[in-house]
Amino acid sequence: MTNKTNTGRPFSIRRVGAAFALSLSLSTVACQTANDRLLQVTDPDIINPSDVLSPDAAIALANGAISTFRSITGGNIAGGVESSWMFGGLLADEWSTSSTFIQNDETDQRVIQENNGSVTGQLRNLYRTRQRANEAIAALTKVNPTARALIAEMYLARGFAELQLASDFCNGIPISNVFSSEPTNTNPQSTAQVFAYAAASLDSAISFANGTDAPSVVINRGARVARGRVALALGDFVNAALFVAAVPSSFAYQHTFSLSSSTNTLWGQGLSSRRYSVGDSVEGNRRDIFVANALPFASARDPRLPVTIPTTGAINGQDGLTYARITTLWGQLTAVDVANGIDARMIEAEAALKVGNTTLWLSIHNALRAVPPKLGDIQPAALPALVDPGTTESRLSLQFREKAFWTFGRGERLGDMRRLIKQYGRTEANTFPQGVHYKGGSYGKDVNLPVTFDERNNPNFKGCTDRAP
Amino acid sequence: MPHNWRRLSALAGLLVLAAPLARAQQSPGGSLAVTVTDAASTRPIEAARVFIVGTSVATATGVDGKATLRGIPAGPQTVRFLRVGYAEQTKAVTITVGQTVTLSVAMSVAAINLQPVVTTATGEQRRVEIGNATANIDAAKVLEVAPVGSLSDLLNSRAPGVTVTTGTQTGTGSRIRVRGMNSVSLSNEPIWIIDGIRMTSTQADFNTVTGSGGTTGGNNASRTGDLNPDEIENIEIVKGPSAATLYGTDAANGVILVTTKKGRAGAARWSVTGEGGGIQDRNYYPYAYSIFGKRPGETVSSRGFCNLQRVGTGECKADSTTALNIFGNADLTPIDVGNRQKLGVQVSGGTEVLRYFVSVEDEKEVGALSLPQFERRRIDSLGLPLRPWTSRPNALDRKSLRLNLNATLNPKFDVALTTNFINLAQRYSLESNATAGLGSQVFGGPGTTENGAVSGVGTPLMGYRAWTPYYTWSEKTGQSINRFIWSTQANWRPTTWLTNRVTVGNDWTGRVDDNLLFRGEGPPLTATTRLGSRGINSVNINNLSVDAGSAAQYHLTSALRLTTTVGAQYIGFRSQGAQTGATQLAPGSQNVGSGTQLVVGEGTTIQRTFGVFIDQAIAIRERLFLTAAVRSDQNSAFGTNFQSVLYPKASMSYLISEEDWWKAPRFINSVRLRYSYGQSGVQPGPNDALRFYNGGITSVAGLDQPTVIQAALGNENLKPERSAEQETGFEVSMLNGRLNLDATYYSKITQDALISAILPPSYGAVTSQLRNLGAVKNAGAELSITAQLADNKNFGWNVNLAGAMNANKVVSLGDNPPQIGVTSRTVAGYPIAGLWAQPITGWQDKNGDGLLTYFADAARNEVFIGDSIIFRGYATPPYSATLTNGFEFFGKKLRLQTLFDYRGGNKWYNNTERIRCTRPNCSGRNNLTAQLVDQATNIAANEAPARTLDGYFQPGAFVRLREASVQYSFSNALASKLIKARSLSVVLSGRNLKLWTKYRGTDPESGFNTTGTGDAPQEFQTIGPPTYFVFRVNVGY
Repeated sequence: MTNKTNTGRPFSIRRVGAAFALSLSLSTVACQTANDRLLQVTDPDIINPSDVLSPDAAIALANGAISTFRSITGGNIAGGVESSWMFGGLLADEWSTSSTFIQNDETDQRVIQENNGSVTGQLRNLYRTRQRANEAIAALTKVNPTARALIAEMYLARGFAELQLASDFCNGIPISNVFSSEPTNTNPQSTAQVFAYAAASLDSAISFANGTDAPSVVINRGARVARGRVALALGDFVNAALFVAAVPSSFAYQHTFSLSSSTNTLWGQGLSSRRYSVGDSVEGNRRDIFVANALPFASARDPRLPVTIPTTGAINGQDGLTYARITTLWGQLTAVDVANGIDARMIEAEAALKVGNTTLWLSIHNALRAVPPKLGDIQPAALPALVDPGTTESRLSLQFREKAFWTFGRGERLGDMRRLIKQYGRTEANTFPQGVHYKGGSYGKDVNLPVTFDERNNPNFKGCTDRAP
Repeated sequence: MPHNWRRLSALAGLLVLAAPLARAQQSPGGSLAVTVTDAASTRPIEAARVFIVGTSVATATGVDGKATLRGIPAGPQTVRFLRVGYAEQTKAVTITVGQTVTLSVAMSVAAINLQPVVTTATGEQRRVEIGNATANIDAAKVLEVAPVGSLSDLLNSRAPGVTVTTGTQTGTGSRIRVRGMNSVSLSNEPIWIIDGIRMTSTQADFNTVTGSGGTTGGNNASRTGDLNPDEIENIEIVKGPSAATLYGTDAANGVILVTTKKGRAGAARWSVTGEGGGIQDRNYYPYAYSIFGKRPGETVSSRGFCNLQRVGTGECKADSTTALNIFGNADLTPIDVGNRQKLGVQVSGGTEVLRYFVSVEDEKEVGALSLPQFERRRIDSLGLPLRPWTSRPNALDRKSLRLNLNATLNPKFDVALTTNFINLAQRYSLESNATAGLGSQVFGGPGTTENGAVSGVGTPLMGYRAWTPYYTWSEKTGQSINRFIWSTQANWRPTTWLTNRVTVGNDWTGRVDDNLLFRGEGPPLTATTRLGSRGINSVNINNLSVDAGSAAQYHLTSALRLTTTVGAQYIGFRSQGAQTGATQLAPGSQNVGSGTQLVVGEGTTIQRTFGVFIDQAIAIRERLFLTAAVRSDQNSAFGTNFQSVLYPKASMSYLISEEDWWKAPRFINSVRLRYSYGQSGVQPGPNDALRFYNGGITSVAGLDQPTVIQAALGNENLKPERSAEQETGFEVSMLNGRLNLDATYYSKITQDALISAILPPSYGAVTSQLRNLGAVKNAGAELSITAQLADNKNFGWNVNLAGAMNANKVVSLGDNPPQIGVTSRTVAGYPIAGLWAQPITGWQDKNGDGLLTYFADAARNEVFIGDSIIFRGYATPPYSATLTNGFEFFGKKLRLQTLFDYRGGNKWYNNTERIRCTRPNCSGRNNLTAQLVDQATNIAANEAPARTLDGYFQPGAFVRLREASVQYSFSNALASKLIKARSLSVVLSGRNLKLWTKYRGTDPESGFNTTGTGDAPQEFQTIGPPTYFVFRVNVGY
């Protein structure tokens, strides 16, 4: 009976089996067809490279480069990494730490670890400024070549990043002046070599900004000021002065801010968050820890740098411990001068001092002091004229002190202190802050920022060549 | 980018071959009516699974223990009965065409409670037939006695090789690792599948648009925490690639399979649960210290300059030390007793055709954080409003509604529908790593209440660092969730040898994260913080699953049973969010539109996977079970140069003790040997393969302009990580099942490990690029011993001892250099995210002043540090063990249960102490009677040039009394008499009751970044895990 039953069923079973096989085959084909469609994904958050080929896109790339450029001066980027303007100021004597961040503390104490994450962020932004400027130069040159002022501004951004790299970081900075859109491992260069790259970039900026339209004039002057700084760093005092001769004292090439994009980090980290206190020659809440070599930025009561040293009310810095010394030099949206006429005068004054023309040197300073340009949000009152202190060393000190107050917070102080050692024979011991640090321990020996550990992913880089000034 | 369809089609052809083979087994059907009872009590057993061996015919018994199977081929058949808690039974019957055969079976209680059926990618399978170790958690059983507040509690310490570390605030998620860490740069979290569909299990799923935190600064919500544990029937953990192969790309870290409760045929059965309890923080917290002293020449003693180092060097003369433990001061502490309530009602029943399960539950929990008394008095005296989130910043309110339906439309076709709606509102304190958070203030104070006032506001600090909890908790940081999970599964068995199934479902989450700080409130964090802020982050997450498969069963010979399964699966994940926020609000406003500084944004994540598999299982004489399978996947995240990936597997399960030649001592009842090999993967992130730019805005010469900036380099060769695992083990059942031993060894290696390669800054590009560079090895062993030590009328005692060890090693980083963080490094030859430092090699108080002092002069120096940075230990425990004891008294009416948990072999980074020493307020820096080890730790970190954090890497081993409970079950008669109920039980339970450790911080499980994606958890200004005391009443009608 079982056999009979079995002989009656095979047909239907065969049909089911065949149907299954057919459905499987059809499913397979259908799956293959559906496969691509199923897995096609369009993410609205991203912009594809093919969408960045138009003239408008080239300008947007340039805007992106300017945004990054701003992050190496008075702005910041997502994540809140401040620039080497601020960390350089911590390492020098412009700022003192009043934050809980160990990265800031060790920089202020001049014992920076190679894995300092904040320095890494600053280093990345400097390199990104170069790379993005270069990408924009390539795009503008290809699809919008008449935008010469904007191309010039990209060269200025690139050159300024190179200037800041060489001013703030150690010898052995991996860099090349051959640009590629693909990541490339480059070889370490001395700071002098990096200054030379900066000179080339800024020369291109000056060359492109040769029009008489307002943007071209601004970029040309800005590039000349930066080029003059590079010349100073390279010891070319005569040409440094020549580069800036035509730049008026009232000139400023600025980075601007807005509530919807980025605000002024010098204000944000300083007055607002109180992570940075204005540096001084006397530290400690009881004002009883003397810091050798440090300029009295806070206690000098200089009109160019208004500082509040609170004793009641809102006293503490972000660490809840250090009495914060704050300056109202900048507000939330105050534009910062990347290069200005004051820089030009300081270059001329130093060049004059270098050749022993103390009369010219003093007259440049006193002219500026008599009619001070606006600094950030403040318009300083006229300052009394300087008197020649009489000796080469004291003139040199006065030159750098004047410059320090005129350029406070603008990323020049660390480079200048290094130049005091390299070009004027001073030493680390008589230039950088010394003694007991108010947060514990004593000041270390660092005179520059290290190229940090992340760079060791470049096989050509084995660490700073040296940490010499 | 096609699949390699040809190979798969060829394999699928095997299935076609099954038809003629199965043909011979076809015959007109008869029926079988079964009645299943408990052998001891003769009561009916519900939910017993009944199978006709070698066919697709199966069912489950209703509440009356009865079930009818129809369409069974005529002739002799073997019927198998399986039920958790009972010994498996098989019966031979002869089915007659057109007639119903009756069969009664009395099942005996198994001494050890093992799940006989497990869920696999090919469907349900007998546990003994699969070649992997299985970890099964009988959720319903656990919940009867254990203090379980979340799914994490349900998982924690219940499966060897599964490590769960939970955030300490109410509502925060957990870090789950199954058999170690496979991936250097991607998430090592397992995937979750609930009732056959992919469940959204995003970790750290929280982000505020504005405000002081951005996130909570500590642990955040995770989407696995949304689920109501009371609705879960059981959880199975598929531990490694050898078992997870058929779950495809993304399953290499393990798969957690959640099955929710189902209805049983029979009259409606109601279950009412009420729960209430307290939450206490009974942790150790350190004192804060300051030294008052004088510098040479000073006459007035002051705080700030002096510390032990400076006393040691003579720079300062100490006069006194002040000490304060805010947590130990009733007026100052931000801790109070929290509370928890839960009320749930469940009903199930139905007919054999349609069965239902309905569950409604309301749960509320208020964490232990509470505004200190001194601040409450101040608020009262000023008549200020005290907002709920300021008074109790951490709270959770969860409502869950579930409806599950199972319909047997005819003997060949059944459909299941599961639906679950969850509404969740929770809020958190900003804590560990938020500057505005509690941890920074409560751990950072100077060790005296005489430390002045909050800057700019003038209220007393009372020993807190920069502001008090009132200011931190003025800001609300909350999340609300509406979630709907549904799935439907259809099973069609056109013949007795063929089963087709389709599962379709979606997990939708509507998530809103919000922060609110009224103008004029909050901490003086920045110049604008107290001008108010409001942010709303609204995210929709969809996780769509389609899973289809066909399985054919057939006999080649009477001793050879084969099952061929083919399947296809599609997973589509989409998360789309829009953020809006504003700062500097109008006075009194809590509306984004009133802010002067607006923040807007959007974010989308899309990821899709399509995979197919074929699985061939062979059962030889029902004692040797062999399986071979392969799965092919394609994923939208793969690089354009990479097409599809094939994952093979093979396994063997051998019931060797069933062999006639088997000779063993009588006390050994059964022995099973297992071996399996399999591969699985982890997919890259959705856009990791792409080179792309992002758009934004910037101010150019005072005007906002659009920007385009490179955002990713991409990698067109990107492919998934591929993990291959071998697992072998055995199970031995002894003494009539009273003693069971289960041992497993595994070894898995992850090739093409995705490493987020850090790019040199000089590239001028993005920070990192995902590359398939490395290899990671995990090897380990798991052991579980379950014993019924006593089982008589008045006393029963069962014990489970489970242990696991895992050795994790990065085999290769390709051409990539070591990944170096401040404390953790990933280096070839060492575990992922191991702790590295220059070691403190010793210390000696050479001058006998009771202090350790650093001197540059080696002859005088008192703390010694090694020259090189070396590996100092695992960051997470490689060893774990749990010991569960259950004691039953008075005819099992009274049950006591304890669960002890050991974890060790690692160091735990006490980052709280590290930052305390920089505040500075730690003992090692400011306590004149500090232990030398603490002094050495501080000196090594803050005074010696090495600045090593080695001393903060502290012994992480601990033993914890994780759970203890007392349950009393009333007799049915008494339950009926007292409250007219079918059953009644009461449970008093506690969680995190006692800790034994040499760790010098708060708790070696206390991590601020537990729910982050990294694998270097650490304590950082973190509130410790609380202790729960819960009273629960279970009533059945």
